[in-house]
Amino acid sequence: MSEANAILKPEELQPAADLARQTLAQLDAILLGRKELHRLMLYGILARGHILFEGLPGLGKTALVRTVGHILKLDFKRIQFTPDLMPGDVLGTHILQETATGKRELVFQPGPVFTNILLADEINRASPKTQSAMLETMQEHCVTLLGTTRELPRPFFVLASQNPVELEGTYPLPEAQLDRFLFRLLFDAMDAAVLEEIIAGRRRGELPAPTWQMERHELESLFRTMDRIYLPRPVAGYIARLVTATHPESPEATEPVKRYVTYGASPRAAIAIAEAARAHALVAGRPSVGFEDVKAVAQPVLNHRLILNYQARFDRLNAAKLVTDLIAQLDETGLNLPADLELANR
Amino acid sequence: MNTSHPQALQAFSRKIELLLMFREAVRWISVWLFAWGAIVLACRIAGQPAGGWLAAGLGGCLPAALGAAWHARRHLPAFAHLRAQYDRLNVCGGVIMTAEAADMSAWESRLPAAAVPRLRWRGQRTWLLLLVAALFAAGSLWLPDRFNPVATRQTIEIGKVVSELQAEVKTLAQEKILDDRQAETIQQQLARLQKDSSSTDPGKTWEALDHIKAADTGVAQEAAQEAEKKNAALTEAKTLAQAMEQAADAGMNAATAATAAADLESLLNAAKLEDGILKGQIPPELLKGLNGLNKAQLNQLMKALEANKAALSGTMGDLARLKLIDADTLAKCQNAGSGGDPGALADYLAHCQGGGDPDALFSWLTHPGKGGPGGGGPAADMTWQDQVSEQDTKYQPHALPPATKLDHAQLVGVSRTAPKLNADALASTAGALDQAAGSGGSAQVQTVLPEQRAAVQNFFRRDP
Repeated sequence: MSEANAILKPEELQPAADLARQTLAQLDAILLGRKELHRLMLYGILARGHILFEGLPGLGKTALVRTVGHILKLDFKRIQFTPDLMPGDVLGTHILQETATGKRELVFQPGPVFTNILLADEINRASPKTQSAMLETMQEHCVTLLGTTRELPRPFFVLASQNPVELEGTYPLPEAQLDRFLFRLLFDAMDAAVLEEIIAGRRRGELPAPTWQMERHELESLFRTMDRIYLPRPVAGYIARLVTATHPESPEATEPVKRYVTYGASPRAAIAIAEAARAHALVAGRPSVGFEDVKAVAQPVLNHRLILNYQARFDRLNAAKLVTDLIAQLDETGLNLPADLELANR
Repeated sequence: MNTSHPQALQAFSRKIELLLMFREAVRWISVWLFAWGAIVLACRIAGQPAGGWLAAGLGGCLPAALGAAWHARRHLPAFAHLRAQYDRLNVCGGVIMTAEAADMSAWESRLPAAAVPRLRWRGQRTWLLLLVAALFAAGSLWLPDRFNPVATRQTIEIGKVVSELQAEVKTLAQEKILDDRQAETIQQQLARLQKDSSSTDPGKTWEALDHIKAADTGVAQEAAQEAEKKNAALTEAKTLAQAMEQAADAGMNAATAATAAADLESLLNAAKLEDGILKGQIPPELLKGLNGLNKAQLNQLMKALEANKAALSGTMGDLARLKLIDADTLAKCQNAGSGGDPGALADYLAHCQGGGDPDALFSWLTHPGKGGPGGGGPAADMTWQDQVSEQDTKYQPHALPPATKLDHAQLVGVSRTAPKLNADALASTAGALDQAAGSGGSAQVQTVLPEQRAAVQNFFRRDP
């Protein structure tokens, strides 16, 4: 194990964990009543993954993304996806311009995708053509137009939102694109107490400005620390088995998975779980990933990656419930003790 | 005492190892007991004789347990899995697992306190299986034969008793106490008994064997009585022959010699040497001319008589060795007729004038004493006057009660001592002799059960 990849010492990890907690504290202070969501959001950012928000309008999706951009001091752009939005509107386009010499040439005009944080609002309202234009940007972090590939600024996150109710005139995201999102986070309705606090404390719902912002070098050090979070082999094995068990033909698949799942999660899901679990461990102040880190992030990673059959719809089962059941039933260590032996912690 | 995580992890590993080995041992022992029970059951059904089954069954438990422990040890979970399980149960967040790859001592103080995770074995089913297996094995081992449809057709072990009886019959035949035809018949009966004896009804077999034994004993007793008589006659004849030889030297007159020779012939005739168990061992030329035998002939006669006595003694010895007669009877046979003093008789014969008195001569032989011309005669016989004749005597008929228990009565042996007469209780209280006056002793009415027979036989087989 090289020095750069050596296991983090407590004094090395502590600053990064403090940064992450401070970020969370800012988020919790600005956006009320979404603590769990903020944590998952931060895990996604630390894992350098894209996040898909799903929720009704007005629940604060855009506010959350904007606030994260402010706290992290990252460039932030927003695209409101509409059916007539063209790929060029997202990626950028070449415009014929006259130069100073009077010669005309095509000059590339970067689209809004050239940013650090891209809020793709109501992404499912754009046509498949425009949605697919996002594929390369999300996976490769670059844009190729007219044979020229242009790197996107780093870090680059796509934080997309979609409305699960107004489905008329929408184009459901293809599986390939869904798979590129690290998390799918659901925005639930707020508690009355939280709403009361928002109404009482904030005129016109305006968000307070963050009292602290993360510097760029701090964010980069956070990413470097993330890279040194150790993933033990048994935990890697657990992640692999967990993802494999989402396939109905897997020997470890639970009965509901066999019954309701048509296609399980991809290997990209396993990578996503590992990265998100690392982020969870970092925020928890640990140098290594434990089983509990995996369990904490497995559900938002997997819930948009399972393709359920019609029977699941008839029985009103969703992927989140299946994943929760799977996590509860799958033995973490694969110890395979006899069924009549029971282990318990203190 | 604070335990470190590595120590707790080792303890956890040992705990799982021991529990898995113990659990496997219990399961293997259960399987062994089932298998052993099945084998025992199969052997019993097949009629195999029992021998060391219990020891084999219990002894097999130890190898089964050792084999199970070895098997469990070979299939123990990998230590990495145990470490991961320990990490999970102690909520160590992967730090313990990471210790496999790097030194994590800097993090140990930030971990929860080390504790060996609890391990619980829900072994009710395993213990139940063991209990059922043990009950099955015990049932197979101790299942009564009457529940075994095959075993009930098995013969019982009577080989030793039959061998003894066959030896007895063979000896009785050799000694001419039984004729060859009778002996052959009994031998065939014994062989058939051994073949057809059934464990379902062993009493029948034992009764048949007892019957043959009683018959053998009865024949032997008769032979002993006959031998006693013959031995007595031979002894007296020998004493008379010796006296005649000595008296001839002392000048016995011819008339006395003739009387003595007639007595000698009378004795030899009474012995009936040519009949029964001793057939004609006296040279016939001597028997024809008893009156006028010279000294050499008398010596030859005495040797022949002695040889006959030895033959009788040997026969009785064989019977006693086979327990067909007891020691008292043997002694009685061997000492029959002894006690006569040939010197005194010779003195009497030498001084007897006029042929002598045959009755007095017999008295010399049957009632030894120191009589004679020099020392007085033997004790005189008691005589009665007016002897009562049984002719025309009428007896009052008296019906005996029906024999009930006597049907089951049997001779189990001969006691060493004479039955004691209880004058106050001469009447039998049950059986055929109920209300009848007893002349001594009591009827044996107790039925000896098959399982008691060996003990009874051992009692009578004891050396005196």
